[in-house]
Amino acid sequence: MKKFGPNTAVAGIDLQVRAGSFYGIVGPNGAGKTTTLSMITGLLRPNAGSIHVHGIDVWAKPVQAKRLIGVLPDRLRLFDRLTGAQLLYYSGTLRGLDNRAVRERSADLAAAFGLEDALNRLVADYSAGMTKKIALACAMIHSPRVLVLDEPFESVDPVSAVNVTEILQKYVASGGTVLLSSHGMDLIQRVCDHVAIIVQGTVLASGTIADVRGTSTLEERFIELAGGRTVAEGMEWLHSFSD
Amino acid sequence: MVAQLLGLKIRLLGNAFRRSPWQVVGILVGLAYGLGIAGGLVAVLVSARFVEDVTLIRDVCTVAGAVVLLGFFLVPLLVGIDDTMDPRNFALLGMPTRTIAGGLLVSSFVGVPALVLGLALLASVVTWSRGVLVTLFALVAAALLFVTCMLATRVSTSLAAFLLSTRRSREFSGATGVLVLLIGAPVAFLLLNVEWSRYGLDLLGGLSAILGWTPLGAAWAVPGDAVAGAWGSALLRLLLAGVTVGLLWLAWVALVARMLVTPGREAAAKHYAGLSWFGRLPHTPAGAIAARSITSWGRDSRYWVSLIMIPVVPILVYLPLTIAGVPEHYLTLLPVPLMCLFLGWTIHNDVAYDSTAIWLHVASGTRGVADRVGRLIPTLVVGIPLIGLGSALSVFFYGDWGPLPAMLGVSTCIFLTGLGFSSYTSARFPYPATKPGDSPFAQPQASDTGSAIVQSLTFTGAIVLSSPAILGLLLGIFVDPYWFMQSLYYGVGMGLLALVIGVWRGARAFERRGPEILASALRA
Repeated sequence: MKKFGPNTAVAGIDLQVRAGSFYGIVGPNGAGKTTTLSMITGLLRPNAGSIHVHGIDVWAKPVQAKRLIGVLPDRLRLFDRLTGAQLLYYSGTLRGLDNRAVRERSADLAAAFGLEDALNRLVADYSAGMTKKIALACAMIHSPRVLVLDEPFESVDPVSAVNVTEILQKYVASGGTVLLSSHGMDLIQRVCDHVAIIVQGTVLASGTIADVRGTSTLEERFIELAGGRTVAEGMEWLHSFSD
Repeated sequence: MVAQLLGLKIRLLGNAFRRSPWQVVGILVGLAYGLGIAGGLVAVLVSARFVEDVTLIRDVCTVAGAVVLLGFFLVPLLVGIDDTMDPRNFALLGMPTRTIAGGLLVSSFVGVPALVLGLALLASVVTWSRGVLVTLFALVAAALLFVTCMLATRVSTSLAAFLLSTRRSREFSGATGVLVLLIGAPVAFLLLNVEWSRYGLDLLGGLSAILGWTPLGAAWAVPGDAVAGAWGSALLRLLLAGVTVGLLWLAWVALVARMLVTPGREAAAKHYAGLSWFGRLPHTPAGAIAARSITSWGRDSRYWVSLIMIPVVPILVYLPLTIAGVPEHYLTLLPVPLMCLFLGWTIHNDVAYDSTAIWLHVASGTRGVADRVGRLIPTLVVGIPLIGLGSALSVFFYGDWGPLPAMLGVSTCIFLTGLGFSSYTSARFPYPATKPGDSPFAQPQASDTGSAIVQSLTFTGAIVLSSPAILGLLLGIFVDPYWFMQSLYYGVGMGLLALVIGVWRGARAFERRGPEILASALRA
């Protein structure tokens, strides 16, 4: 649970994410997705409750737990005065990799994400999508058991998104766990095997994609749970043009 | 439409009072300063009404006025003001260019600088109220000057926003601005010491004669001419001022027209080959953090400003002291400890400079010691040669090698205790700093009383812990050279102790308070 002053952002989220699953979290704006993911990754101290990753309590044994987790936060800065290559090297070294491993993995990641040409430019000069990709690469460089990704596909172009998805699917197939948040229902429905719908800080539905969506699509189910569509009335003026 | 833009500006000003109490205090202080300056100017100008030496008043008005006008043009260029009324903000509204240009000009009449200028100009009309026709001339000149000044800031603010729109040029201009200001200070100080009583009046007369016929000074000299009965020259100057306003208006309209169809431009990105410092320093977390710190010092204008400050501060202290009559012989020992003081203090808020990027250290569970030590490296790289070479040079100019050990002791002690305090406070008490990529002049949005306490404590803390070493130096000079060595022993011992304790406590604070450090960066 997390409170910001009198506002409770997240209250009683009870989620079980099985190792080796591809887990999506969806919710409307301000539902508490980022807050939840930040508490899981040790970036935001919860007021109550506990988080266990592979049996390790994140807030009791942070150092051991953080070793297992790769993080892609949303809306936090990167050390953008570094070049892409330097940022990868920096992330890898902070995670305890040795020189050779960092260099090899950096090269592999750059090739996989299509960042080879950008490696020698400052991250500050990257476009939004490229920044997202280099941050994703940094999250994976220490081969964590769990990847926690906040909006990984936002402003990433479709080709790169397919590449990234493929990388993540192979990672899950080999036993890794992915926990991601997204607005893209199609994408979650296509890629994830499990999903949780969070609205106003509580879990409204969770389970396998098939369980949650039932007979309708995930998008229809989500809109139904999130409060239904508001029918736009009184907008007739929009249909008679002003000139 | 002009009225709507004016209304928008007034609403923006009003909304400034709806933010946090500290920002309101800041605005009120700014307003009080502005009104204070305006009050002083009005008092001086009104009392000048009763001075009979018309030529003198005209010359002073012309020269001072030209400087003011130049200031209205140059300050936005140097400082790079964040412009809420940027013409590009109105590009999508589909209004005629002239309407936008006019509306933005009129809306710039609302604000503290415009208020101060307006009051001062009204008072200058009082100064020249020596006859109906003269007052009329003064009134017209004042009106022209008001519009000229406002047009000049509008043009230069937009020019700055337009030309300096890329990250690199913006940072560069910010750092240059600091440099100009800092160099300007000693120059102004030297100017104050010229024997004005002897040459001042001639110089003033000569300057005013030249400036009075340039766009900068013409309008300011008009009422003086009118009083002296030189109507022809007064009219000519008025014409010159009118043409200036016309040309500035045309430039402003052209600039607005150009900006409306030009989105922000992006400079070609520079390429940096290889890993640079990351490849050269040890391949450990501490080494990587050190490499990252050094890289930031080289690429981030906020660090440049700190680095520029360090050699300038001794000059700022040195000059007044020599002029005050302190023997230069002893003053040669001052610069190096002073630079060490500022160098040690530079990193007392280092973590906040990273802003929210610090999440990477928190999420990766970086050891506190690695973080603390890594951040110390750039200052040590600068500081150790500074202490060694600087102390040697100081005693060389001092003319006696005796105090060398004490110089080393004092400098080392101030430097290392400063680093010790900084290592602790930057992890335990980070306070909002200028954000990465902002102009070094830009003040952080949020600020609290804590920041002032942290700043002064780290600063005075180093001096207090070093005072025995300083005392040793003084005793050595004035009593017995025996104390020179004692100062060295104490300085190095105390410095190392303070550094170790600072790093240790700082590392603990960093590990325990990682999420809180990130939260404070998010609030900033």
